[in-house]
Amino acid sequence: MNRRIAILALAGLLGLSLAPSLLNGALKLPVPEKIVLNNGLTVYYLHSPELPLVSLRMFVAGAGSAYDPAALEGLAGLTAELMLKGNASQNAEAIAEELDFMGAGLNIAAADEYAQISAGSLAEHFPRVLEIATACLTGPTFPEEEFARERSRRVDALAAIKDNPRQAVRFYFRKAYFGSHPLGRLSSGTEGSLNKITGRDIAGFYRERYRPDRCLAAVVGDIDKAKLEALLQATLGRWTKPSTPAPGLDLPPLPVPKGRTLLLVDKPDATQAYFVLGAPGYAVGDPVDPAASVMNTLLGGRFTSWLNTELRIKRGLTYGARSDFQTWKKGGLFSASSYTKNDKIGEMLDITLGLFGQAKNKGFSSTEVESARNYILGMFPLSLEENADKAEAFLRLAFYGLGFDYTGRFLTSVEKVSAQAAGQSAAKLLPRQDFVLVVVGKASEIKPLLQKFGTFREKKISDPGF
Amino acid sequence: MIKRFACLFLCLALVTAFLEGSFRREDVKVHTLANGLKVLLLEDHDIPNVALFTFFRVGSRNERPGLTGVSHFIEHMMFNGSPKFGPGEFDRIMEFNGGANNAYTSEDLTGYTDWFPAAALELMLEMEADRMQGLTFVPEVLESERGVVASERRMRVENDNDGLLEETVRATAIMAHPYHWDVIGWMSDILNWRRDDIIQYYRTYYAPNNAVMIVVGDFEPDRTLPLIQKYFNAIPSSTPPPPVTTAEPAQLGPRQVLIRKEAQAPSFLMVYHAPAWKDADFPALFVLEKALLEGESSRLYRRLVREEKLALTVAGGIQETIDPLLFSFYIKPRPGADLDRIEAVIEEELAKVGAAGLSDREFQKGLNIIRSNFYFGLQSISGKANLLGTAEVLYGGIEQAFGIMDRYAGLRKEQVQEAAKKYLAPGLKTVGKLIPEGGVK
Repeated sequence: MNRRIAILALAGLLGLSLAPSLLNGALKLPVPEKIVLNNGLTVYYLHSPELPLVSLRMFVAGAGSAYDPAALEGLAGLTAELMLKGNASQNAEAIAEELDFMGAGLNIAAADEYAQISAGSLAEHFPRVLEIATACLTGPTFPEEEFARERSRRVDALAAIKDNPRQAVRFYFRKAYFGSHPLGRLSSGTEGSLNKITGRDIAGFYRERYRPDRCLAAVVGDIDKAKLEALLQATLGRWTKPSTPAPGLDLPPLPVPKGRTLLLVDKPDATQAYFVLGAPGYAVGDPVDPAASVMNTLLGGRFTSWLNTELRIKRGLTYGARSDFQTWKKGGLFSASSYTKNDKIGEMLDITLGLFGQAKNKGFSSTEVESARNYILGMFPLSLEENADKAEAFLRLAFYGLGFDYTGRFLTSVEKVSAQAAGQSAAKLLPRQDFVLVVVGKASEIKPLLQKFGTFREKKISDPGF
Repeated sequence: MIKRFACLFLCLALVTAFLEGSFRREDVKVHTLANGLKVLLLEDHDIPNVALFTFFRVGSRNERPGLTGVSHFIEHMMFNGSPKFGPGEFDRIMEFNGGANNAYTSEDLTGYTDWFPAAALELMLEMEADRMQGLTFVPEVLESERGVVASERRMRVENDNDGLLEETVRATAIMAHPYHWDVIGWMSDILNWRRDDIIQYYRTYYAPNNAVMIVVGDFEPDRTLPLIQKYFNAIPSSTPPPPVTTAEPAQLGPRQVLIRKEAQAPSFLMVYHAPAWKDADFPALFVLEKALLEGESSRLYRRLVREEKLALTVAGGIQETIDPLLFSFYIKPRPGADLDRIEAVIEEELAKVGAAGLSDREFQKGLNIIRSNFYFGLQSISGKANLLGTAEVLYGGIEQAFGIMDRYAGLRKEQVQEAAKKYLAPGLKTVGKLIPEGGVK
């Protein structure tokens, strides 16, 4: 039994926004070497010989869920998963067997703006892992039988998600907040959309969106540069760029809620009610990032945050309460979430909205802000300990065009965030009247407690979709 | 065959050589204070931070009816006030100094895990020492924290069908040993623990002679040991806690659990009694776990997920514990799947292992996975601290952490077959099924 939700999840901000430096002897994100392959694909490389391990990360821009056709939600996610289910020289079982035999990991999944390839193995197996990853990435065969099985497995997995309200409330929220905006497309898909997807759609999505000129890669671990470069040229370097122009990557601006959008999802057997409340945040690299990170650390980003103090520590209403900023190229999202037994959900929401008001109106003390700065700086080195952490950090900085000095600049800025700046970011970013609120719980018990917040649209957990 | 083994021995020899080069027994400095507190120190200057872990030899196996879940509750209360630091001060001071922490309770141990910039080490030692004895248990704070744990239980059990089934299956398979109940404890106990009993329990198990402290990271051992002595020497040792003597009686026939409740998807869990970590049969069952359940090439993933399309995922295996616990098959069935068929498929596969054993390649795969996971676990200062603490408390000493690969090097494939027959026999199972009622499916 863990005592708390993962506090280090604050790193989710930029994938790495936790920070080091003046406090403890500067630790910076090391700058990787750059290897450009014959086909133009860029690979960032860092030698890390302490353990006999190597990690690979790749991003394929434009192959994430936000690029699903509107009617075929889940296409990016299903395509990514099926890429490991057969290539020119191996079928799904042979691929899985060989990877498992080496004790290696290889995974392809759809994030929002990109697809991500993650691999890790003992150094002695890395050359072979890279070959398999390349074969799957450059020549997947998408066998019909694998397609049919994975699609139906995904449909059935959605039912299981709905039995877990803590998970399900995030899916409902994403839909309620983003509506038809591309960021509302769930990589899981929905029962309705998955059943519309055909094998041709999968092959088409792959052909259009997986291409070397849309890829970034990073390798960190116990492998020397000359050897790696030769391996990369012989694998990823042979992936030929299509002559067709790459599809655009632009996404529309994020929606801005006006007034309150309220959704109640009835789960008649629930003994706790789960909520997510969200409002607009800010884009990756926005100048407000350091101040907003400090502000969110205080509001809901760590154990002693205001939300966790008021809801958990002082009142014992919940096991955990938190808030986060999520960032994308075009904008971001602020959200707060928690859960409590059915009869306390009204009180919980009152307190949550009250804390937003307090942060907006009164801001934070200079002692609090000093504490949050120290916390971000002190936690930062821990977010980059593992090879895969560094590889992912390199790719995010490259993908968003922030430069490898961004982390250092961010941390330096954090050190200078004043109480005034933190308060201003609260005033600017925290919602008062305009937000989206989703509650999953037993409607017959919690509906009367929610009335004061406005009129909720209602759904049943057993209704298809989210 | 001989060639494969020869290769294996060579690989493991290389592993041992590597271990000597990077994560070495002789780099760990071991001290035991006069009051019995064992201290393990390992320098690692990769990042300017320190992992300070304190493991107490107490978990749900030390509990009794009426006090189930109390080990975990004390874990929560350890942040709620000690003689010098009031309720919440530990977290406030730690975060102000750039640190964070977590804590966890298992069947066998309670672990406090702190990570912080190197400069905060003395302060952290002072706060850890202060809460090792004399927690204040302020009544109002205790009541508030009781609500937190009740919420945690609702999240993990009452509102999680897989959690609910796990609790019931465990309690059916294990009748006598305190592993009978989950670490979280029964809800009625959570709501009714008496303050005096909680304090008595804390005094029994929280003492330097019942703990091990692990420090890994950016510090100088020669300066750190005196600091540890400065803050911990004054804490008196206590009467060693009573041993846990209850042994689970042999299971004499299959057992079954059926739960019917509102759900979208069914749940399935089948368990068998399994040996403790120290038992000579443990490595064989750990390798068997990899062959049956780990990865998409595992036997049960192939049968249940791919071929018969009965399940969404498979997971489980054996746990590292002090006393014998369970070998588990967590199968997430597809909605509408025939749960009896899932049970039959698992038993078929177990019968095949019993009759023919693993293939050479499956056996080697299991060993390779164990080796790979071992190194991935050493990437962080926390991973190293956790391995050392776990070895000290569960394995019987840190030498075991450095000898894990040797333990597997001595394993023969035939031992896996023998262990499967001995432990995973049809009459020894407890099978649990949660069947949805209502809902759409």
